[in-house]
Amino acid sequence: MTQTFADVVDETGHDPAERKLAIEEAAARVITDPENSRVAARLLAELIADETAEHGVRTFSESIAATHAAGLLQDRLADFVAANAEALDALVAPDADDRFEYFGLRTVYDRYLLRHPRTRRVLERPQHFFLRVACGLSETVEEAAELYALMTTLSYLPSSPTLFNSGSRRPQLSSCFLLDSPRDELEAIYERYGQVARLSKYAGGIGIAWTRVRSRGSLIRGTNGHSNGIVPWLRTLDSSVAAVNQGGRRKGAACVYLEPWHADVEEFLELRDNTGEEARRTHNLNLANWIPDEFMRRVEADETWSLFDPKEVPHLTDLYGAAFDEAYRAAEAEGVFVRRVQARALYGRMMRTLAQTGNGWMTFKDAANRTSNQTARPENVIHLSNLCTEILEVTSDAETAVCNLGSINLAAHLADGEVDWARLRRTVRTAVRFLDRTIDLGFYPTSEARAANERWRPVGLGVMGLADVFFALRLPFDSPEALELSTRISEEIALAAYATSSDLAVERGRHPSYDDTRAAGGVLHPDHYDAARSDRWTALRERIAETGLRNSLMIAIAPTATIASIAGCYECVEPQVSNVFKRETLSGEFLQVNRYLVRDLSARGLWTPQIRDAIKRADGSIQDVPGVPEDLKALYRTAWELPQKALIDLAAARTPYIDQSQSLNLFMATPTIGKLSSMYAYAWKSGLKTTYYLRSRPATRIAQTTVTRAVPEAEAESGAVACSLENPEYCDACQ
Amino acid sequence: MLLDPGMDLTLRPMRYPDFYERYRAAIRNTWTVEEVDLNSDLADLSRMTPEERHLINRLVAFFATGDSIVANNLVLNLYQHVNAPEARLYLSRQLFEEAVHVQFYLTLLDTYLPDHEERVKAFAAVEHIPSIRDKAEFCFRWIDSLGGLTRLESQDDRRAFLLNLICFAACIEGLFFYGAFAYVYWFRSRGLLGGLATGTNWVFRDESMHMEFAFSVVDTVRAEEPELFDDRLGAQVTRMMEEAVEAELAFAADLCGDGLSGMSVGQMRQYLEYVADQRLVRLQLPVRYGTANPFAFMELQDVQELANFFERRVSAYQIAVEGNVAFDESF
Repeated sequence: MTQTFADVVDETGHDPAERKLAIEEAAARVITDPENSRVAARLLAELIADETAEHGVRTFSESIAATHAAGLLQDRLADFVAANAEALDALVAPDADDRFEYFGLRTVYDRYLLRHPRTRRVLERPQHFFLRVACGLSETVEEAAELYALMTTLSYLPSSPTLFNSGSRRPQLSSCFLLDSPRDELEAIYERYGQVARLSKYAGGIGIAWTRVRSRGSLIRGTNGHSNGIVPWLRTLDSSVAAVNQGGRRKGAACVYLEPWHADVEEFLELRDNTGEEARRTHNLNLANWIPDEFMRRVEADETWSLFDPKEVPHLTDLYGAAFDEAYRAAEAEGVFVRRVQARALYGRMMRTLAQTGNGWMTFKDAANRTSNQTARPENVIHLSNLCTEILEVTSDAETAVCNLGSINLAAHLADGEVDWARLRRTVRTAVRFLDRTIDLGFYPTSEARAANERWRPVGLGVMGLADVFFALRLPFDSPEALELSTRISEEIALAAYATSSDLAVERGRHPSYDDTRAAGGVLHPDHYDAARSDRWTALRERIAETGLRNSLMIAIAPTATIASIAGCYECVEPQVSNVFKRETLSGEFLQVNRYLVRDLSARGLWTPQIRDAIKRADGSIQDVPGVPEDLKALYRTAWELPQKALIDLAAARTPYIDQSQSLNLFMATPTIGKLSSMYAYAWKSGLKTTYYLRSRPATRIAQTTVTRAVPEAEAESGAVACSLENPEYCDACQ
Repeated sequence: MLLDPGMDLTLRPMRYPDFYERYRAAIRNTWTVEEVDLNSDLADLSRMTPEERHLINRLVAFFATGDSIVANNLVLNLYQHVNAPEARLYLSRQLFEEAVHVQFYLTLLDTYLPDHEERVKAFAAVEHIPSIRDKAEFCFRWIDSLGGLTRLESQDDRRAFLLNLICFAACIEGLFFYGAFAYVYWFRSRGLLGGLATGTNWVFRDESMHMEFAFSVVDTVRAEEPELFDDRLGAQVTRMMEEAVEAELAFAADLCGDGLSGMSVGQMRQYLEYVADQRLVRLQLPVRYGTANPFAFMELQDVQELANFFERRVSAYQIAVEGNVAFDESF
């Protein structure tokens, strides 16, 4: 069966089991022809329509009536829709579902559509879902139409919590929560567990610092005993996070941040190891290093590094830049450290953790604080980033930082072989207005989160589909043209976002802490990089001086894992991982194939079964596939084949226009300490504020079942063949 | 030569560096049972139809003993007769991996079958469930096929050993296990039993390596003593493969009953025949069945995985990373 599934589709009636089978068959055949993905999606859309019809749902207003009657929606939304039923029903675009790839629609079906509490049947269709989200954030039909138009064309999508909860009775719309380290006392630690659990329950990702808590061996005055350090506390946090199930839709997830002068840092770096004592492991927590420049300088100079008990130096975590350097050196001079290590030895240990677990993200405290709009006053300090390392906001005991996110699908903003800049700016304006709206409509699980969000009103507008843009315009990821375009996109987005926030300040007022920001002093984020000298920035700066801003922060590039699936584009600013790969998610596994590559190969008559098998055999790489032209090889390199320097350079070039940060994954198939330490030192020097996962590949792999492979020639002849010692992963004999 | 009797202890100069590299690669992929999260499986199990539940129960009953049998043969036959220290290093590592698999399936059964009596019954499946007993007997017959031979002196001795080696690689790890994996991936393709699938992925990865190691031993012997590979041996291997397909099919009939949506005995037959053909091709023998793979979902396990980190634990990391801090390496 190599043709598309048109025949199957025609024969498939309304029998659900038969249709399900046809969907799965078509979906599994996307590798032969990516069009099968659309076929599967179309079948699934029919299945969904039939399913909603069981509860009498055909139109949007009927879906709202049904979900409201089932107790899933707030009265305000139900009343709004009832009052405007005709106008809203007319908004639903009849063929809009055709824009979905199968994986996208399947994700929507499995996880986003509202279901009847008892029958578990879906009560809304995909377009109803988009319009429900839009109405949940709107005051008028016109507003709803504006946001719906962006969503239905997959041009912009709010983040998952907003998609899940907009219009619901408990509309928790925020993606990320950042909690300051608990104070160094028992009650404060347990109080934090409670906050984490409450925030986690409503589908928020948690970042939490732990730098203030005393280290192992520290004296506990109350009992005259000695502390066991941070690991047992983090074990408890680990269990607590795992126990919270986000409504069955996602598992709770958290990332713990620690500064590398904390005396327990080495044990911290072992928390994710899969060997060793289980009592000292946390399999559910993510880990990140919150690194001051002083540490990196000492690594470079090959000097010693002092580890402290925070009880002795409680002020360090609230300082950054020169003030931190001075205080740190003073503490060293006083001799209050617990012990000293070679800075490079600790840095090497960090690299090892990254290679072995992908965790232990490198995030840079000074770069994060130095340019943040929120840190104009010395008492406002950023102590950590979030679960995905793209949010940088100040925290304190009284304020839990929050961020509401949404991402623009850049692939949907192309026209006639270039970016449609005017349309991009329009999308930004709509997106920022609705992100700002979520701040007021959101339900906050803790008072600390509400307090912070109302005062600072930060939002995080991001992008997805950058790789699609490069493919569509045929720009290799590491070309100068790609760098220029990517930077221009970020600058345009920043300009439009700031202008919109300035408009909002006029309409609805500045955010209450505006006077505490750097913007109030006339300094905008790109000014720190001398990257705002054009007339447009000058004009904008002058305008903001008059109006102020509605939002303290506006730009953050989130990983977009799930919403990029819905939109059918590549994730955020990432290169593709493989030309053929499968996605593993809670809904199962899905095959994905690079449709741009298929288009190009088909056009040249090269999308043959032989070449398909060769690409699969090569794990989605086309570099060594005979017959593939060189220009395609250059364009369709995978993340494993691109120089990582290019990823870092692109990220660094857009940093001036990213006032929070970006979730930047780095890829290395076979990491070594030498390569990693060079790479992260370069990232730091390039001024990146944060990095995210280090992705690497397994040393051995599963034997392929569906690709016919005869005996490797050389092996058959000579018996034993020595693998390449440097790179056994790519040695054929090992596969 | 590799099958010459004895206990070679000399690692330098190394005769078969490929075996040593396989040993090192295996170590880099160490995983532990504690990393597998089976929690979500319990909810899936509670929603299954009785037919699906029956399939799963039988399947885990097979898993309960399969890896122990492989480990037994490794100790009783392979380790004794593959005479190169670097090959024995690999086998030692394989033995450890089999132990991890046994532990994984033990944990799985304890989790899936909370009822004490059911659990005991599952572990005893090899004695009282005919379809599982028959497969086990097939294995035992081949474990004993060398009849206590301690030295492979004659060509016939060596052929007997090759049959044992090929049986465990091609029929047991390469067919029985592949059959079992197909059921797991079938569930996973429908978004079910993610914990089992994660563990199975890692088991599958290990088993793939075991099979490839055994085949490369065969390749080595073929290069050193081509005269061992006569038509009779080929015919014996093909017959053995046929027997294995039949045994696995009887198991499939027990599991699938009248068929489930997307999984039936007929499809399983095609799949097993397809897999058996692949093993024969790998052993440079003619295809026996000429059947195509019916399971589209098995395509999924042939390509790179990209898990969403918040949803699945990712198995793509390595241990034993090498090197020193540097600032001038290319990346």
